[in-house]
Amino acid sequence: MKKYIGIAVLVAFGVLLPYGLGSYAIHVANVAIIFAILAIGLFLTMGIAGQINLAQIAFFGTGAYASAILTTQTGLGFWPAAVCAVLAAILIGLIIGIPALRMQSHYLGIVTLGLAVAFTNLVSNSSFTGQAQGINNIPGPTLPGIDLSSEYNYYYLEAVALAIGIMLAAFVVHTPLGRRLRAMRDDDLAASAMGAEVPVLRMAAFAVGGLYGGVAGVLYAGLIHFVAPESFSLANMFFLLAMVVIGGRHNLWGALVGAVALTLMREALVNFATYAQLAYGSLVVFMVLFAPTGLAGIPSRLRSLLLTRGSAGPDSTRVAAYIPAPSLGRGLHAPAPSAPNVVEVDGLTKNFKGLRALNGINLVARKGEILGIVGPNGSGKTTLFNVLSGLYTPTEGAVRILGDSAARVAPYRLSLRGVARTFQNLRLFTRLTVRENVMVALDRTLTRWSWRYFLWPLGVWRQDRGMRVAADALLERYGLSDLADTFPTELSYGAQRRVEIARAVATNPEVLLLDEPAAGLNGEEVNQLRLIVKDIRASGVTVLIIEHNMGLVMSLCDRVVVLANGAVIADGLPAEVASQPDVIEAYLGDSSLLDLPTTETAGTP
Amino acid sequence: MNHRMNRWARIAPVAVLGVSLAVTGCAAPGGQATAATKPDTGPINIASISPQSGQFSSLGAWELKGVKLAVAEVNAAGGINGRKLEISVMDDQGDPTVATNLARKAVSDGAVFVFGSAMSGNTLAMAPILAGAKIPEITSGSSPKLATTGSKFLFLNSPPSTVFDQTLANYLVDTKAYKSIAMISNNGSYGKGEHDAFLAALAAKGVTPVANQVVTPDQKDFSSALTSIGQKKPQVLFIGAEEVESGLIAKQARQLGITAIIAGGAPLGTPVYLNTAGVKVAEGSIVSTPYLGNDTDAKTIKFAADYQKAYGEAPEFHGAKAYDGAEIVIKALLATNGAGGAKLAEAIRAVKYVGLVGTFAFDQTGIGVHATTIAIITNGKQIAVK
Repeated sequence: MKKYIGIAVLVAFGVLLPYGLGSYAIHVANVAIIFAILAIGLFLTMGIAGQINLAQIAFFGTGAYASAILTTQTGLGFWPAAVCAVLAAILIGLIIGIPALRMQSHYLGIVTLGLAVAFTNLVSNSSFTGQAQGINNIPGPTLPGIDLSSEYNYYYLEAVALAIGIMLAAFVVHTPLGRRLRAMRDDDLAASAMGAEVPVLRMAAFAVGGLYGGVAGVLYAGLIHFVAPESFSLANMFFLLAMVVIGGRHNLWGALVGAVALTLMREALVNFATYAQLAYGSLVVFMVLFAPTGLAGIPSRLRSLLLTRGSAGPDSTRVAAYIPAPSLGRGLHAPAPSAPNVVEVDGLTKNFKGLRALNGINLVARKGEILGIVGPNGSGKTTLFNVLSGLYTPTEGAVRILGDSAARVAPYRLSLRGVARTFQNLRLFTRLTVRENVMVALDRTLTRWSWRYFLWPLGVWRQDRGMRVAADALLERYGLSDLADTFPTELSYGAQRRVEIARAVATNPEVLLLDEPAAGLNGEEVNQLRLIVKDIRASGVTVLIIEHNMGLVMSLCDRVVVLANGAVIADGLPAEVASQPDVIEAYLGDSSLLDLPTTETAGTP
Repeated sequence: MNHRMNRWARIAPVAVLGVSLAVTGCAAPGGQATAATKPDTGPINIASISPQSGQFSSLGAWELKGVKLAVAEVNAAGGINGRKLEISVMDDQGDPTVATNLARKAVSDGAVFVFGSAMSGNTLAMAPILAGAKIPEITSGSSPKLATTGSKFLFLNSPPSTVFDQTLANYLVDTKAYKSIAMISNNGSYGKGEHDAFLAALAAKGVTPVANQVVTPDQKDFSSALTSIGQKKPQVLFIGAEEVESGLIAKQARQLGITAIIAGGAPLGTPVYLNTAGVKVAEGSIVSTPYLGNDTDAKTIKFAADYQKAYGEAPEFHGAKAYDGAEIVIKALLATNGAGGAKLAEAIRAVKYVGLVGTFAFDQTGIGVHATTIAIITNGKQIAVK
């Protein structure tokens, strides 16, 4: 409710603002809105999708220049030129985004920075951009009945664009596309294993940056009636970056406040530019060091500071018991030998440069089987999972999952085909809540489904609501309802393991790969895990489980495959395998198999 | 708790936004009204909008020194019929967006006149705003594009670069009959203008340069460009670059054994060029400039002495043309008795004035000086060619 009051106040304020402003202040407000639109674009590309993009100013420039060139040189009207200019900016966004397919983090930052420099060089040297002298006499927009040459009326045009920009951004962030982008930002590997098309999403992030940059550029050309390379200089890129960093790059309102505050500050300090530059620089360093989440992140940081002072730590004991599915009996056993093979691995070899991690692996898993994969550290178990989930491509050999080849198939395609996995070293999306982690996995669509954002937003909203209901039902079953709104980093290790399994199950898999799911769990948690895995199998899912807890393996698995030095050295019923001499030999020094504990121990040594 | 904090996190920035915008609102209320009313008493507000910080700050500083000197003189002599001139100095930081903000600020502050910007680009950005508010401006920019805005309120205090280069080409090709001319210029705003203007002037005479090298404004080593020029053994080397870069190019050209006569625009006539290149290298350079130096006649000697007294340094071309611009505005303001608007623009256009950088007679495009002088540097001084 308060949220709506806040928005209503903001809208009323926005509408009434020009009545209180002089001709100078309204111009500054118009410039501030343009920077705010740009900042939203940077917030989406960098804060939401995690793509370090230092070329946002080039998207801005593309929009402004394209609009300038089309209106002054081809005689196109403002509005058709505006549409073309925004499309051009999106195209430039896609082109500048190409390096993101190959590199990330600061490398991407350096490349995009280079491309931003290339843009200013291009416009300074090309004759069609007017070179260093720029393009002047750019016509402004016209609307029937409204004189947009008045900056007061222009303000309303910009305000409408900003409002649409804010709504679109907020909608994207809180619905499937934005959730996937955020998941990719937090962990692109895990995101791709949950069905997110990482390359497409990265390009989408840059396209969105281009969209906002283009709109801002068009508005700039219409307001200033002049474009020159200096307007799109690196100094302005850093100014824009400072807005988003100071405001808070993970928060839409933060980015907006940063944009407005810095534009006003630059205006107030205009005659102390040298010192102001120093001040911005110091402020950015200060924020990065002491408030990395920006102004917008300060309240939540203070809150967590107070909480950790007040109590011993985050409350993580609220994982409730797993609720077994009622219709499926616990006692279901191994599938009949006639059950179809779901996973077939044939002569699989994987080399890393000189190292042969897997050496001619043959194994099958039948539908509804729980197959244990054991072996000493470094025997190739996780490498096998990485091949099965598409993260690695095999050097030799065949992998078939559900009858089709799974070698050289992208992780997201395998996820959509029905392969889900957990990770040995927890890979939850750390800045997504537990519910959102599950909702990312529930999303079974391809990214191109996102056309609905422009043509059928109601469909997006409905789908999102459906996913929320499904996620809450799943969390309820996994005893995670109380934790639905917390972030993974606030959870205990055991709770995080539980969320990983819930997230993998949310993808509605045919094959589930569990990589050491009992590591770090206490006795009761291991019992819960056993219950969960049996339930998953009972629903017809094939489970492959890497585990060092031999008690769990012996009591849970229908069959066990033992790996040593990248090769299968045993394959059979748990009891048979455990008594084979070469298995015991392979495990020498690892007493867990020799001891054969019959009661649950506290996970890996 | 969680939810409540989240809501606050959403509302707090809104409040900040509101307050901050409200503060700006209060800072400059009713700007439009201030501009409309013209009090006939009290100081006359004029604005100086130029880069005072950043890469181009020296241009802004020179311009301001020239303007301040002229304004101080008129204020000491009683101002405009008793009313003092007040300069609001504004720093556009070399950024067109900031320049337009400041142009709006000058409008709402009720400035009757704007000096600047020293950068052609910023002047072009401000031109529509100032024309809309009927505030005349005199720019220190020299881009030919400045003459194409169609604004009746924009004036140039120096000849556009086309005039510099036309005069130079006339001298080199027609008078001296040089045929083998090489060009080197940078791709910055000034260098690009020089490049295009000189090339066009040569083309009109049917001359094609034997080499046409383009460098960047921040380059320091020109050996690759100069080596390729050297192979053509040109009679003349045209340099289109700012003062320091011109000096470096000239020096390195001599080091590489290029004996061609060095020619160029106003930068070659400045002490900065002389110091960078060295007196020996600069000897014989052909300069197309409206300003021959600080001791050519009584007027420049007086200006140089006053400038030296005020700032403790010798003046140069930029300060001189800004001084001329200010003198013209002062004459126009005396004619209108302090009134601004279209009346002031007409008064400026009507001023006929022999200044430091030439004879001013503004045409409809806002260009005042239509000719430059050819000088040859001899013993470190610019000596006009008779």
